[in-house]
Amino acid sequence: MARIDTAIIETDLDPAAELAALAGRHDSDGGIASFTGQVRAEPGLLALELEHYPGVTGKALDTIAQTAARRWKLSTAVIRHRAGRMPVGTPIVFVAASAPHRREALDAVSYMIDMLKTEAPFWKRAHTQTGSNWIEAVADDRKAADFWMDQIASEDA
Amino acid sequence: MPITIRYVAALRDRMGRAEDVLDLPPGIADSDALVAHLRASRPEADMLAHPSVRLIRNEDIVPRPAPLADGDTIAFCPPFTGG
Repeated sequence: MARIDTAIIETDLDPAAELAALAGRHDSDGGIASFTGQVRAEPGLLALELEHYPGVTGKALDTIAQTAARRWKLSTAVIRHRAGRMPVGTPIVFVAASAPHRREALDAVSYMIDMLKTEAPFWKRAHTQTGSNWIEAVADDRKAADFWMDQIASEDA
Repeated sequence: MPITIRYVAALRDRMGRAEDVLDLPPGIADSDALVAHLRASRPEADMLAHPSVRLIRNEDIVPRPAPLADGDTIAFCPPFTGG
């Protein structure tokens, strides 16, 4: 039975500490893969603000992690996602997978971050020197999520 | 039928409000009918009909159209932009 460990974090996210907590936890695992997303500097950007939908977001994170754990036979799936206001360089999201072999861990991390872009109820707002605006969805993010959904649907068929 | 409607993120700004609490007339059985009802009185509700808008019914992300029941909370959400 995989360990599913997800959280929405309103304060600082520490990717190094999250990764260190996974190391050596399962002797049967040969690979731990992770991804950290952070606020990218853009002209005029002061901070990003992440809004989410309490009561639903946590369940969405669990569903993504559980699907990854089942599909890639992970021993652990971890998702940490920030909410609130974050200046440039701040970690927004941390995803990790621990598995017996590297390919499963790497693919599970790709799946989880791609699904987080489109299937968890978060919305980004950019605060700039001239005001603020909501960030629009990216078509390539939708395509990436659809790719995984098609893969999993065809395997389940 | 009493219902709570939430407008989330960019849709909240564009609707000019976070929430409506309405007593719907009979015959509005799903979210598509609800959108049609809202559009009849408010032009800004046109954007709720856009195919990219996601729905949260009570505490679940659901496909459109979603059936409606007494006391439901229905949230209209722009496409998610997390990660």
